[in-house]
Amino acid sequence: MQRALFPALFAAGVTFLLTCLVIGVRLQQDGPTLTVVGADAETWGWIGFAVVAVFLFQLFQQPLSAFKQRLPTPDLAALLPNEPLRRRLRPWLIALVVVGLFVWPFLVSRGAVDLATLTLIYVMLGLGLNIVVGFAGLLDLGYVAFYAVGAYTYALLSEYFGLSFWVCLPLAGLLAATFGCLLGFPVLRLRGDYLAIVTLGFGEIIRILLNNWTQVTGGPNGIGGIDKPTLFGLEFNRRAGEGSQTFHEFFGISYDSSHKVIFLYLVAVLLVLFTVYVINRIQRMPIGRAWEALREDEIACRSLGLNPTVIKLSAFTLGASFAGFAGCFFAARQGFISPESFTFIESAIILAIVVLGGMGSQLGVILAAIAMTILPELAREFQEYRMLMFGGVMVLMMLWRPQGLLPMKRPHLELKTS
Amino acid sequence: MSETTLYVLQQLINGLTIGSTYALIAIGYTMVYGIIGMINFAHGEVYMIGTYTAFITIIGLLTMGVGSLPIILLLALVTAVIISSTYGYAIERVAYRPLRGGPRLIPLITAIGMSIFLQNYIRLAQGSRDLAMPALISGGIQFGDPEVFEVSLSWMQLIIWGVTLVSMTALALFISRSRLGRACRACAQDLKMTNLLGIDTNRIIALTFVIGAALAAVAGVLLGLYYGTINPYIGFMAGLKAFTAAVLGGIGSIPGAMLGGLILGVTEAMTAAFFPSEYKDVVAFSLLVLILLFRPTGLLGKPDVEKV
Amino acid sequence: MKLKHGTFSKTLIAAAALMATLGVQADTLKIGIAGPVTGPVAQYGDMQKIGALMAIDRINAAGGVNGMTLEGVIYDDACDPKQAVAVANRIVNDDIRHVIGHLCSSSTEPASDIYEEEGVMMITAASTSPSITEKGYELIFRTIGLDSLQGTLAANHIQERIQPQRLAVIHDKQQYGEGLATRVRDILAAAGTETVMFEGVTPGDKDFSALIAKLKRNNVDFVYYGGYHPELGLILRQSREKGFDAPFMGPEGVVNSDLAAIAGEAMEGVLATAPKSFDQSPENAALVEAFRARNEDPSGPFVFPAYSAIQVLTEAMRATRETDPYALADYLRANCFDTTIGEIGFDQKGDLTEPTFEIYTLHADGSKTPVSK
Repeated sequence: MQRALFPALFAAGVTFLLTCLVIGVRLQQDGPTLTVVGADAETWGWIGFAVVAVFLFQLFQQPLSAFKQRLPTPDLAALLPNEPLRRRLRPWLIALVVVGLFVWPFLVSRGAVDLATLTLIYVMLGLGLNIVVGFAGLLDLGYVAFYAVGAYTYALLSEYFGLSFWVCLPLAGLLAATFGCLLGFPVLRLRGDYLAIVTLGFGEIIRILLNNWTQVTGGPNGIGGIDKPTLFGLEFNRRAGEGSQTFHEFFGISYDSSHKVIFLYLVAVLLVLFTVYVINRIQRMPIGRAWEALREDEIACRSLGLNPTVIKLSAFTLGASFAGFAGCFFAARQGFISPESFTFIESAIILAIVVLGGMGSQLGVILAAIAMTILPELAREFQEYRMLMFGGVMVLMMLWRPQGLLPMKRPHLELKTS
Repeated sequence: MSETTLYVLQQLINGLTIGSTYALIAIGYTMVYGIIGMINFAHGEVYMIGTYTAFITIIGLLTMGVGSLPIILLLALVTAVIISSTYGYAIERVAYRPLRGGPRLIPLITAIGMSIFLQNYIRLAQGSRDLAMPALISGGIQFGDPEVFEVSLSWMQLIIWGVTLVSMTALALFISRSRLGRACRACAQDLKMTNLLGIDTNRIIALTFVIGAALAAVAGVLLGLYYGTINPYIGFMAGLKAFTAAVLGGIGSIPGAMLGGLILGVTEAMTAAFFPSEYKDVVAFSLLVLILLFRPTGLLGKPDVEKV
Repeated sequence: MKLKHGTFSKTLIAAAALMATLGVQADTLKIGIAGPVTGPVAQYGDMQKIGALMAIDRINAAGGVNGMTLEGVIYDDACDPKQAVAVANRIVNDDIRHVIGHLCSSSTEPASDIYEEEGVMMITAASTSPSITEKGYELIFRTIGLDSLQGTLAANHIQERIQPQRLAVIHDKQQYGEGLATRVRDILAAAGTETVMFEGVTPGDKDFSALIAKLKRNNVDFVYYGGYHPELGLILRQSREKGFDAPFMGPEGVVNSDLAAIAGEAMEGVLATAPKSFDQSPENAALVEAFRARNEDPSGPFVFPAYSAIQVLTEAMRATRETDPYALADYLRANCFDTTIGEIGFDQKGDLTEPTFEIYTLHADGSKTPVSK
């Protein structure tokens, strides 16, 4: 205990130094003058609490960690039923989930469906980045650039050429994939951190260009009035544009804005199901294995005869195309896009989703995306603290469980041994 | 002298000023990367905290009636350095040390999370609005031809140059002459070996973070006085630019960080001089990308040989 | 068609009973107040907020509207178009059908698309960009003048009173700032005054030394700045340091005591177009007292327009005995209202029929004096 006293005092002192000025004293701007005031009693209470807590924690660190060792660690995998049962249940489970996804929106409020649509966008983005970071191990910090390309493709094509959502969707994916390829070429030789920095640079360059090219992209004011997707030509607006009909007029029912919301949600579900299916199949193909070989050891990969150029480019291209789809849908859903939606923070959030979910694990990424989007909404009163908690959670998750929620398991077949 | 020459000289002065501050912050990035191979994304926020601390100290002292400007500035500098260094130390101890030795992606995520956390922490503590302080050091010298173009060099700019020069010289002397400095260099060369030779590498790594944070705090004080306004988000952009500077000069090399900072500052100023100023930032990032594509180790860095 | 006597009276009784139950429920009518609560221009969001909330409190104290108590619900868009869209969606999801806001033109415009689509009435007390009311929307109104008027006023002043030889026009590339700057430049060009420098700066940028050196090099003798106070404040401050002392002029987005904090002495003499100082008019003296009693500053340009927005909204609700935005919109367009910003009416587009801008000289202590005609 005595040996722990000095470190405990030191830690408490550090905590006090960290908080006394920056939290304990507030800068206040009264018009033209700036003054300092001591923070209120409650804040000082928190500071005191923090100091004492750190002191006690450090003091009793030894007994506490011994206690923690003896606590059973929850094994998420053990919660699931055993293997043969799982295999039999799987198709039923998948069918249940898919049916549930399609039926559910008709039963809940508009806000919930809206939130679900946003979650599905992040699921798509997470799965796309998962290909690059999770499967291929290429650290991409500028993923949001492809997202932006997809969104602006639809916005610009819709505004200047009047093309519909369904036409623009594959175009957006294609254009984003092209950009992915273009980005992939220069970074072929780079490794690890350098790759991360260059992709970060690219992401920022794209954002700044979008911000400054006002004549075409509208600059900081963005592009508004983007059309929503139509159902075989039927619009979901209150009033139809020239030459087309609205959904509610066609079916003879009164206008209800929740029709639009549910339709958007269903489109999102279709896109996500498509994404999951495609990625699943590709993962089982040779290229999927090649990605993982690249992630594990690039030099060994090369010495075995695999061409890293093709592998890296395919990862970037495919990952980017999914971001393009997500971007196109995002633009359609919001009706308005601006460069502010495509900052580095978005890339960081998507990266966090992939890492928190367990790199390479599709189910983990989906769960993480759901958690990241829904939890802030549930804690609406903590709106102020949302970003703070986001940062804190990122740090804590890396300290506690760096392999993610559901670490990846390679899809494999087990031979039955009788 | 002709008008263009004077104009270019003015932009050069501006560029060197901002470049020196980039250099100060860049050193933090480069030292940490050199020793543990990690990009400390939270470094920009440490700079921001330094600026806030400086503001608090200065305004606090002014409110208390302290009149002497040199004392106020000195105290602000000392306080900012102490508080920022504490933050640098605490961040390393809490968030990075437990993750050392693992895959490289994990500390990167932690660093990004730490950066977001600190930004919002200050935002909640001090408010998200801009806070503005009256100019404490104003005036300067004007030279050149009033008919053609007058170049102005403010006292604040001279102070920035002076303080930066002193700090960098002090750092260079420390690294090359002192025992601890030698230990730092040894750790940067080969961490495991240094450990085997009996040097407490944990201490040295902590010291590296502290030095980087201290220099960032100095930059924070200088820029706080120079611009006069702060908000919780200045750390991000400054950090990104400084990071570009560090990479430009060769990440891992301290003279590289200094050189990179100055080059970046001057390039930005020259771009803004002859093109619309909104493209300043594009230049910074394009420079970063180009350097990494064609000379990834930067101007003064050593080629990184990957061993199998 | 004649209803049977019995059926008619039964219907009447049922309707009365229904209205009575609805009324007896003493429900609250939520009114959304959307604007920046955080971010660089949060001070303006504050002005709008205190004006609207003061109006709501006073109306509630006097018995509410049609038996309902009003409740102001604050939403934060941080003057960011993306967040404004999210806020608009949230307001619609929260079943609120009347909104005072947003503040920045670049936020109001995309949000207005959503409100018009979803049948929510929006009255902005601060967005001055003309394009907001140019889309033929029914439910969008404003209780403040337009940039087209503000820009014209500034341009005329520059043309007639300043007559600069070398004019520079700087903007912050956002809808409000760039729109105004372009307008001023075009009007002056048509009148014969050429603009020597037309450039944009990035909002959030701190270092304008390159811009100032360029202004010096071009021997600029007058600068019109379109944008908000954070950037202008820094430009003024740094200009003074660098020995560039041409006069500046800006729009109401810079009229803010924070400008004095940032620019200090350099702010003395800066011209600005701003809404009339409604806190100076004698009719509003009691209201000004009420604000001061609450420790709130009534001199901001958006306080009284926001107050008036609530006034016209509730006036229309009282007169039509309805809360349906379409009915209220028709009433607003057809009538005149006596408010704290004077007698106002709305035209077909939803704009005020009388402009309310004036030119002021700003002083280093944060006050402003009108420029004599």
